[in-house]
Amino acid sequence: MLWFYIALGLLSALLSGLANGSMRRFVVAGSLALSLIFVAFPFSEALGFLSRETISPTLFGVLPTFPILILIPLASVLGLVGAHLGRRMSGLAGVLGGSLALIVGFSWLARSPYLAQVRPLNGLMEAVSSLSFVAVIILLVWGRPKLRLPLSAAAIVIGGLVFWWLNSPVGYRYFPNAQGYYKVFINAPQGSEERLVEAYNQGLDELNRQRARIGLTQLEPISSITGLEGQKIPRAAAEEGFRLINPASRKYGTGIFFLLAGLMLGAGLMQLWRPNLEDSNDLISGGLFTAVILVLTPAFSATDFSITRLVEGWPFFLDFLDRAWPPLLSQPEFSRFPLQEVASQMLITLEIALVGTFLAAIFAIPMSFFASRNLTQGNAFMRTVFGLTRGFFNIDRGIDTLILALIFVAAVGLGPLAGVMAMAIHSIADLGKVYSESIENVDQGPIEALEAVGASGSNVVRWAILPQVMPLFVGWTLYRFEINFRVSIVLGLVGAGGIGFFIQEKMASGQYNQMIIAIIAIIIVVNIIDFASSWLRGRLV
Amino acid sequence: MIEVKNLSKTFPGGVQALDNVSLSIPDGDFIAVIGLSGAGKSTFLRCLNRLFDPSAGQIIVEGVDVASLRGRALQRYRRTVGFIFQQFNLVTRLRVIDNVLSGRLGYHSTWRGLLGLYTEKDIELAQAYIRNVGLSDKELARVDSLSGGQQQRVAIARAMTQEPQLILADEPMASLDPRLSDVILGLLKEYNEEKGVTVLVNIHVLELARRYAKRILAFNNGRLVFDGPVEALSDKLEHEIYAGSLETL
Repeated sequence: MLWFYIALGLLSALLSGLANGSMRRFVVAGSLALSLIFVAFPFSEALGFLSRETISPTLFGVLPTFPILILIPLASVLGLVGAHLGRRMSGLAGVLGGSLALIVGFSWLARSPYLAQVRPLNGLMEAVSSLSFVAVIILLVWGRPKLRLPLSAAAIVIGGLVFWWLNSPVGYRYFPNAQGYYKVFINAPQGSEERLVEAYNQGLDELNRQRARIGLTQLEPISSITGLEGQKIPRAAAEEGFRLINPASRKYGTGIFFLLAGLMLGAGLMQLWRPNLEDSNDLISGGLFTAVILVLTPAFSATDFSITRLVEGWPFFLDFLDRAWPPLLSQPEFSRFPLQEVASQMLITLEIALVGTFLAAIFAIPMSFFASRNLTQGNAFMRTVFGLTRGFFNIDRGIDTLILALIFVAAVGLGPLAGVMAMAIHSIADLGKVYSESIENVDQGPIEALEAVGASGSNVVRWAILPQVMPLFVGWTLYRFEINFRVSIVLGLVGAGGIGFFIQEKMASGQYNQMIIAIIAIIIVVNIIDFASSWLRGRLV
Repeated sequence: MIEVKNLSKTFPGGVQALDNVSLSIPDGDFIAVIGLSGAGKSTFLRCLNRLFDPSAGQIIVEGVDVASLRGRALQRYRRTVGFIFQQFNLVTRLRVIDNVLSGRLGYHSTWRGLLGLYTEKDIELAQAYIRNVGLSDKELARVDSLSGGQQQRVAIARAMTQEPQLILADEPMASLDPRLSDVILGLLKEYNEEKGVTVLVNIHVLELARRYAKRILAFNNGRLVFDGPVEALSDKLEHEIYAGSLETL
């Protein structure tokens, strides 16, 4: 599998180079990414006695036990310096850095399992958390040059407070995992393996007596610490802070490491061959490339993405279809009429969407005028109203219909009322925002003209703004109705009425041949509504 | 009678569009305002009906300084001034009659205006001026179905329906086919002569200004550089008005 990653890296560089893409940016990207992977991505596994004692150290974490790994940040520096010098030097640096990383990576993987002692680095995770806090605030205020400096200073103070809080006993009460999250390994003291093996063998008689009592097989004495079955070390050793590091076991950092090393090597070779494959903004594009890879890799790992599992699951999917087909439309002898039920539930779903959208529009139209910047800058009172309305919209938009539905189900009970209320309240904000944007973008000419004839403010709104925005309002409302119809299908899943409830019920009781009717009905109705609504919207403008 | 005293306008960016302009306009005059674009013509007109707030100076209309009016009093003043825009500024989704009737909004209470409750007299006036500009057959048509020239005539009818004492027209032909200039200026001239209403027109075509106006105001760099009868505008002066700013370009 590793060779696949290396080949993928080489191939990407080759194809991009043949298309005259810059190679230097890959040298930059590889260099940056290798050092970040070195310090931040889990690379191998370190086992304890219990599965929760397993640690996934980074390469930096195992550096004290395998000093040759220091060559990886050096390869990274080499790549960056070479890329700075440009052309053939960049190619050379890519080749050297890439191969160095590959050699070191392979020599790590080839090492046999060994015992090491864990040393948590206190404060590191806390520092990273508070620094990212500071970085987010600074990024947010960067767009306002006047406030940039004071707010950045405030962000640093806030970051310092967060760091202090996370490090305090109170912080550990809320985030216990943060304490010593980053772990470094040092070599086990001379003779500790022998000592642990001896201790284990001494306690074996007592352990076997206990195992015999509950009917487990007897354990043999061990001669080395790795001799224990099930890839673990004795409990006592784990409690003393020992772990069995298995370099050959791979975590998500491993694959991406070899891919980027391959990319760097390939890019270097390409640039040696065609030195002009570089661009003036290679540092930025390489940095962006690195950022995307570094964000995506842990995300894929965290979501357990796996093609293998999809392939393995395929027969179950076929089994589902097999049970779902043919649909059971009606079974009068048991007075079961699924098709009729789907029809009536579909109607309820549609009605939830209609009422929810209508109620939302009724409230959003007047509110949107107060949320329009161009109508509310006259005096302090109106500016306050503007701020409050916008604030309400922003908070409301953040609470999804489904979440609101859960709350309303708790408040008013199961059924369509909860769905309608949830939909109406969430849609007020969404509609209000697009309405007010329409108002802000109206043609200013008629407004000026009506001010010039001496019309009062509300008359200007009525005769210059309303005629312009009304068709837009109708269009946005129809569009929202389209979305709301799809939302109301899902609302049933949380018990807020409609066809989703039917689906959930049939799914839970395994009556797939009834559920399939609802799915087909949804596909048909969603398409009809989308088509009708976009046709109507097209006619409006 | 309008008297402008030491009128100045400086925009927030620091651009001085009008610099100490003083003049007086007797009732019933037909005045052409000329000058290069950016010379301050448009700013001058917009200060006169207070679409812009002057930075300094007075505009005395019938003994009242309108430069400092606010709120309801400003609305009452504005209804007596018809303004015709280069881009027509009509609500194109509404019918011709609705646009023309909106010229009467300044005469009614807010709630009447909101509900569109115009009086019989309003409707008669609107219909009469729509006939005047030759669009009787388009009265119920939507404005976006009309040509540019027809739209500007609707805008003129709207201004006339205000029954103003003063009409300000800011380059009313600039977005139209040049052949329509005579139609537009003809309508304004006719109205000026029949009703005795003062008309100020911004024109950049000098030949048209000479043909229609009795009096000419010329602006250059925000300053009034010429104020006098058409005959007094010599070729030399004319050259200065138009070429003077070339140096500053």
